[in-house]
Amino acid sequence: MTNSNDLELVELFQKGNEASFNELVGRYQEKVYWIAHRFLNDHDQADDITQDVFVKVYDALKHFRGESGFYTWLYRITVNVALNAIRKQRLRDFIRIDEFFETADTENAQPDILFEKDEQQKLIEEAIAKLPEKQKAVFILRYHEELPYEEISLILKTSIGGLKANYFHAAKKIGEYVSRAHRTRSI
Amino acid sequence: MHTEHVQYDLMDYVTNRLNAKERQRVDQHLQNCSVCKNQFMELAATERFLKQSRTISPPSVYYTSILPRVRERLAVHKRSLRVYGDGFTKIVLPLAVSALFVMVLMRLPVDSISESPQTEALHQVVIDLNDVEVVQAVEHEYTGYSLSPNLEISAAGVAEHLRGDRFLKSAVSKQIENEEVSDMDFEEIISNLDQEQIDKVLSGLSERNIL
Repeated sequence: MTNSNDLELVELFQKGNEASFNELVGRYQEKVYWIAHRFLNDHDQADDITQDVFVKVYDALKHFRGESGFYTWLYRITVNVALNAIRKQRLRDFIRIDEFFETADTENAQPDILFEKDEQQKLIEEAIAKLPEKQKAVFILRYHEELPYEEISLILKTSIGGLKANYFHAAKKIGEYVSRAHRTRSI
Repeated sequence: MHTEHVQYDLMDYVTNRLNAKERQRVDQHLQNCSVCKNQFMELAATERFLKQSRTISPPSVYYTSILPRVRERLAVHKRSLRVYGDGFTKIVLPLAVSALFVMVLMRLPVDSISESPQTEALHQVVIDLNDVEVVQAVEHEYTGYSLSPNLEISAAGVAEHLRGDRFLKSAVSKQIENEEVSDMDFEEIISNLDQEQIDKVLSGLSERNIL
C-alpha cells in the first residue's frame, strides 16, 4: 500500500479499505500540521486543526472524484479550516468576552515546551498574523510550502497574476513590520 | 522603466525560484529601474531575516499520536450516528438547528428559548457546532446526563461567545455601515474598526443586555 499513489489510496478507501485512509494521514499529517501552525502560530490550535482536517477528509473522501490532485484538495480544506479558526479567534478577541477563558488559561498556563521561539521568529509570526487573509495564505503556501503558483491558484481559486501581487505585498509588509519593530526597540 | 509585472516577481527572484529566462529578464530590468532595485534590496533583507529565524519542530512521536486521535473522533462520530440513526442526523437535527438559528436571528428573548440556564446554554452551543459536537451536546440533554462542572461552565462560556458573535454581526452592520453586509465584508469591517467604532458597537450591545 505504501507504493500506491494518492488517487489509488482514495479509490481503495472508497471501496471500503480503511487502512488506505491511515496511509493518507501518515503521508500528509506533517504538512497539514505545519500549514495550520503557520496560520495560527500555536501548537495546540494547529493540533486541533490537523485533527479537524482529517475528520473532514474522512467524511468527504466518499465524494472525492479526483478532479484536482488529492493534496490540492487536502490543502484547500486545511486552508479553509485554518482561516475559519482565525476568524473565530478574531471575533473572540474583538468582543472581549474572553476574560473567562483567559483567567482559566492563565491559571493553567504551562510553558510551551514544544515551541520555545526566538525573538526573530516571534516577530515574523506577528508580521504574518497581521497580513490580510489572502496575502497570509499565499505567503504561507508559496514561501513556506514552496508550492508552484499553478497549485496555489487551484487551492485559493485566484489567478496567478493575483497570487504574485499578493505574494509581493505580503513580503513587503512583513519587511516593513520587522523594520518598524527594530526601529522602535532601538529607540 | 518601472513595471508592476517585474516587481511581482522580485520575491521569487530573491528566493531563487525563477527559471533562467525569467531570472535574466529581472536581472536586465534591475539595471535600469531604481524603483525595483530598491524593492529588491528591501525584499532581500526581509528574506535574510526570514531565513535566520527558526521554529523548533514537535518531537516525531507527536505525529504518531495524530492518527489514533483522529480515529477516536471518527469512532465517536459513528457511535453518535448509531444512537440517533440517519434520519436523526439528516432530517431532525438540521431542522432543530435551523429552528434555533431562526429564533436567534429573530432575536427572541433568550429566556424564551429554554427553561433552565443549562439547557439555554446547550441550545446556544448547538447553533454553531459541527455534526459530531451537536450530537454529543444533544445526547447530553436528551439522556438527562448531568454535565460535569467544567463542561457546564464551558457550555455557558461558549454560548455567550456565540450569542455575542451573532448579535455583534448585526450590530456592526446596522450601527456602523447602516446596511447589511456579507460575511466577507464583515471580516473586512471587523479588521478595520478603530477604537471609537469598537466602543460604539460594544455600548450598543451592552444596551441590549447582550454583553
